[in-house]
Amino acid sequence: MSQVQSFPAPLLSVHGLEKTFGGLKAVQAMNFEVKPGEIFGLIGPNGAGKTTCFNLITGFYTPSAGRVMFQGEDITGRKPYAIAQKGLVRSFQKTNVLKSLTVFENILAGHYLAARQSLLDTFFPRAHVRLAEQAARDSAAQIVETMGLAKRLNTPAHVLSCGELRLLEVGVALAAKPTLLMLDEPAAGLNSQEALAFGETLKQLRRTQVQSIVIVEHNMGLVMGICDRLVVMNFGQKLAEGTPTQVQGNPQVVEAYLGKARA
Amino acid sequence: MKLERNSLLILAALAAVFPLLVTDQYLLHIGIMVLFYAVLASSLNLIVGYVGEFSLGHTAFLGLGAYTAAILSTRYGLPMWATVPLAGLLSAGLGSLIGAITLRLQGPYFVIITLAFAEVLRIIANNWVGVTNGPMGIAGIAQPDILASASTLFAKRFYFYIALAIAGVALYLAYRFVYSNTGRAAVTVRENRYVAQSVGIQPFAYAMRAFVLGAFLAGLAGGFYAHYISFVGADVFRFSFMATMIIMVLIGGKGTLLGPLVGALLVTLMEEYLREAQELRMSIFGLIVMLVVLFLPKGLMGFLTLRRERRGDQGDAPGCTPHVQAQGGAA
Repeated sequence: MSQVQSFPAPLLSVHGLEKTFGGLKAVQAMNFEVKPGEIFGLIGPNGAGKTTCFNLITGFYTPSAGRVMFQGEDITGRKPYAIAQKGLVRSFQKTNVLKSLTVFENILAGHYLAARQSLLDTFFPRAHVRLAEQAARDSAAQIVETMGLAKRLNTPAHVLSCGELRLLEVGVALAAKPTLLMLDEPAAGLNSQEALAFGETLKQLRRTQVQSIVIVEHNMGLVMGICDRLVVMNFGQKLAEGTPTQVQGNPQVVEAYLGKARA
Repeated sequence: MKLERNSLLILAALAAVFPLLVTDQYLLHIGIMVLFYAVLASSLNLIVGYVGEFSLGHTAFLGLGAYTAAILSTRYGLPMWATVPLAGLLSAGLGSLIGAITLRLQGPYFVIITLAFAEVLRIIANNWVGVTNGPMGIAGIAQPDILASASTLFAKRFYFYIALAIAGVALYLAYRFVYSNTGRAAVTVRENRYVAQSVGIQPFAYAMRAFVLGAFLAGLAGGFYAHYISFVGADVFRFSFMATMIIMVLIGGKGTLLGPLVGALLVTLMEEYLREAQELRMSIFGLIVMLVVLFLPKGLMGFLTLRRERRGDQGDAPGCTPHVQAQGGAA
């Protein structure tokens, strides 16, 4: 509690995180820290435990052991919505959007926290409710623009292409005004050109809208291009940690992952 | 949003002049029943359309409201102005109790447990003779004083405007709910629980709000029904009320505000029209429901919005995943 630190305290820190499903150790002894202002990558072959890690941090799974600290507060085992209210918002690997709603409505729905109101104000709205509603609408339009979906503003989500859906998902997460944004394979389904543009968008978000980003991604070009630091996972454990250059030079990593990917 | 609001206002204006133009008491009675069912269907729609779960126990709230008004009126001599709102509040209380249990369940489990609650209430109403007068029911529920020496035409008109006022309150509350952040949160939960949680919405809390509001409105409708019919028996819990409500919501289109109103109007008129074919009636309704579910899964209102969208569409991109939804197969 009273630890005095001269360097900036980590935004997110994970200590000895572990999850077992029956006899299977999906994640074990995971330790890492995400600093403010950082884009942090979590990579590894399929089944390495990256998404499980995400679910543990964001409360969708309860850890078997270990601790998750966010902004100096212990959030281990909290409910997902309570963690989101603290400013840690995620997207999903399997596309999760509100399918029957339009792009704009999806992103407006993401503004739930900003436009939260009392029950009385729901039925008898006072002036400040209308202001908050308007602010949410303006912000939603802004986010649609940022994500490059302006042409699709009033299109129902279920007719979007794969790439557009991924962008929409990130937009919905952004709408919740996170401090830390966690993206699970956001570039899956994008072509290399789109992925490049998407990477630029993420870099801008980090400066303008969110403090830090944690990203799980298989597109190595994207990950190496935008991440400040990386953790490489394999079989539920941390294999390596460092800058993209350090990680790429690590022979273990090359063997486990990058080597195969290049072959 | 604007379109729906304006349509509601136009409907309200039309309904307001209806009793002035009509002197036929039978037509006025049908008008009153349309309004009564409009409240009931709107309240069920809040649960089916905005929580996204199918309740078969909505008669629990209708019946509790009716019995509350009946007992308060006959035992304690409370006037209608007090009994109807109290009926709504008591039903909302029961709603939060039932909701606290059932909203933790989904799909068929939710359906069965809600049905069980309504059945339990029906059995209680039939057997707790001391309070509910058992199978005899409660008769002679007091009419408002103003009707003491009035003509029957005046009484019908009076009840029409009371029903219209209750429908007005119901739709105002439903409209505010649906177009607020609260309603958006409920829709988010209905569409995708994971997304809802990841943007900070507590799913249970929002399903609960829609559920309790639905219970409140059904209780109001029940209270009104008790005074208008002037008799309440355990029949109010019977399944045919439930079936009628479901048909209205499905035909009109769940998840819209206008749908249940359209459904209430069509089904009430059909019921009256098919009165002669008593035995055939339920079979015909059954067929209609099957056809609606097969060909207009979003009801009439959903069908109309789909057609509007199609007309102004800019060519669908192929979806990301094959989207299995038989949308308006008849279109």
